[in-house]
Amino acid sequence: MSIKPLSVPFRSLVLVLISFAALPSVAEKVKLDPGNWGHEAGSDCVSCHAKASSGLAQQWRDSAHAAAGVNCMDCHQAARSDIDAIEHEGQVIATIVSPKDCGRCHVKELEEHQGSVHAEAYSIIEKRLPALADNVGGSPMRAASCDQCHGSQVNVRGDGTLDPATWPNSGIGRINPDGSKGSCSSCHGRHRFSKAQAREPDACVRCHSGPDSPDKEIFEASKHGMVYAAHRDEMNLDAGEWVAGRDYTAAPTCVTCHMGAAGKLPSTHDVGLRNAWSLNTPVSKRQFLVIFEDGHKMELAADEAAPRRGTELRRADGTLGTVKTVATPERRRQAMTLVCLECHGKGFTESFMKQFDSVVELYNSKFGEPARAIMAGLYDRGLLTPTPFDEPIEFMYWELWHDEGARGRHGASMMSPNHAWWEGMYLVGRNFYSAFLPGARALAKEHTGTLVDAVLRGSEHHRWLDQPDQTSAILGLGRREGD
Amino acid sequence: MTAPRTSSGFITRPVLIALAVGSLGGVLFMAFLIEFDHYASQNSFCTTCHSMSYANERYRQTVHYNSASGVRASCGDCHVSEGIFAATWDHVRGGKDLFKQLFGPDYDDPVINALHLPEAAFAARRWFRDRDSVTCRRCHLQDAIQGTRADTAAIHREETEGKSCIDCHYNLVHRTVPDKSTFKREAWNRMVEEQFGLDPGAADRLLGGH
Repeated sequence: MSIKPLSVPFRSLVLVLISFAALPSVAEKVKLDPGNWGHEAGSDCVSCHAKASSGLAQQWRDSAHAAAGVNCMDCHQAARSDIDAIEHEGQVIATIVSPKDCGRCHVKELEEHQGSVHAEAYSIIEKRLPALADNVGGSPMRAASCDQCHGSQVNVRGDGTLDPATWPNSGIGRINPDGSKGSCSSCHGRHRFSKAQAREPDACVRCHSGPDSPDKEIFEASKHGMVYAAHRDEMNLDAGEWVAGRDYTAAPTCVTCHMGAAGKLPSTHDVGLRNAWSLNTPVSKRQFLVIFEDGHKMELAADEAAPRRGTELRRADGTLGTVKTVATPERRRQAMTLVCLECHGKGFTESFMKQFDSVVELYNSKFGEPARAIMAGLYDRGLLTPTPFDEPIEFMYWELWHDEGARGRHGASMMSPNHAWWEGMYLVGRNFYSAFLPGARALAKEHTGTLVDAVLRGSEHHRWLDQPDQTSAILGLGRREGD
Repeated sequence: MTAPRTSSGFITRPVLIALAVGSLGGVLFMAFLIEFDHYASQNSFCTTCHSMSYANERYRQTVHYNSASGVRASCGDCHVSEGIFAATWDHVRGGKDLFKQLFGPDYDDPVINALHLPEAAFAARRWFRDRDSVTCRRCHLQDAIQGTRADTAAIHREETEGKSCIDCHYNLVHRTVPDKSTFKREAWNRMVEEQFGLDPGAADRLLGGH
């Protein structure tokens, strides 16, 4: 009797389900024996630093680390051979405590974080970055801005000091001297590492705010943010375990939906795990989460069939990885939906997801895809130089998807009507019709028919342009009041 | 008739002359050493050798050179012990620097100088440690350190047991060099190559040549 092999999506569903079932539904407790920490030199550090930098010493004293007997040396100790090892008051230490260091005890969190969109935040943009950060900005802007969120590639100079062009830095995709990626202190403010602080929406604000990803503003403008503000004192933020629907029900925060435990859904330090779509790309894609044999992960557009187990894929940092399993966008959506269901009905949740998906699909087909096709045509014909940002239309296109388009899509995903439309898709439309298209036509000249008009005709969304005689009172002109 | 010489007649004229000459010579020699040690402790003497100008460069940017009150620590104030014998001994030992300057690697070359700097720094730190940072203590009295930050005084009273000034305060005046325990020659060479625009590996060849 032959057994029919399971299809890849089904197999991955089973695998992901098994992995979910195998994990506890709450934040992982460190299971190591306490003999693994409590370095003998730790008390000397504290004695002096209580005077030399009393703020950080006090923060540590107020931390769960201090209560558990984890001291400065437990995290900062280094081997002499470590590239960033320094001698300090008779001890060999490193200033940077990398995820690898934290992962000595917090094993599960490290595994989940490695390969996540957070950990890869620098690697993903590394090659694209110079065209904007260096050409339009300048290298000091990297240290002060881009790298602060995406992370820097920390450079240890030959004299043992950390290069000020790359440090201090708490960017979440930081490339550390030990090769690990990320910075736990990006969300868990050092040296207190407060659970409550990391669960607050404010933990995300440093990066998830502003024109290209106004998630703070969107959250605050949403019903979720509204109830959070009104009932913050019922959030139980200090609780040891923090399962939505059980330990708190007042409101969700960023962590609740993107990382937190909810009902039977376990918590995760892979912040992108539950995201079915890529929303920060010129055209949004439903995406696979590829999990490699070595534990690393990668986002992959779900345009084609999922890669099979054993397939070799090139990753963001250039290395090859062997596929172990793939979580489909449907499965990822299912995980996110489990969070919603702790407070919402199934029909409500599914219909909301339809509303959100429709906005993304509208953005794609009406603006994202046509704008990209027009730009590609202009580049192909040599009507634009290959260098980005040396022509005005490149800024128009960049802002269309990276700022306005991302705002609209994020606004729809997290229920801020204002960001979905006025701060988002309205500006996409204004840019597209009043700046981008005229700019493209001016560049295309005699090729306008093929490079611009043909693209517009390919989408039914722009048919209204063919009806120039439809009057409306919206501009406050034409018909009299009351007509 | 002359009186017979007694056994107490040891103090003869020649002895007196010898004593006088010896004393004068001794005094003059001491005076010479004092003058010599003083002269040889001055910045202007040390920087006679071009190779020392690199150390001088950084030093001039620090508060040990430029202080608001006008107090200035010279090369000798830090690197030569107090007292005529100790100072002379330090200068005699320092003669090896002169020997190496004349017969060793070309320390006047900024690249060679930078490549050899770590060993010089390690030796200097050892020198300070062996003497319990006595030259620091010429000016800095540990009990009197107040600092400008809140708890500097308390740190110097309560956190210094078994420690000498140099244990904490290294890389204060000259170019930053890691502690010997974490120093990595490979990384240092790459840094020097980058600083002087040399090909990778050039530093190793330059060091190997000596």
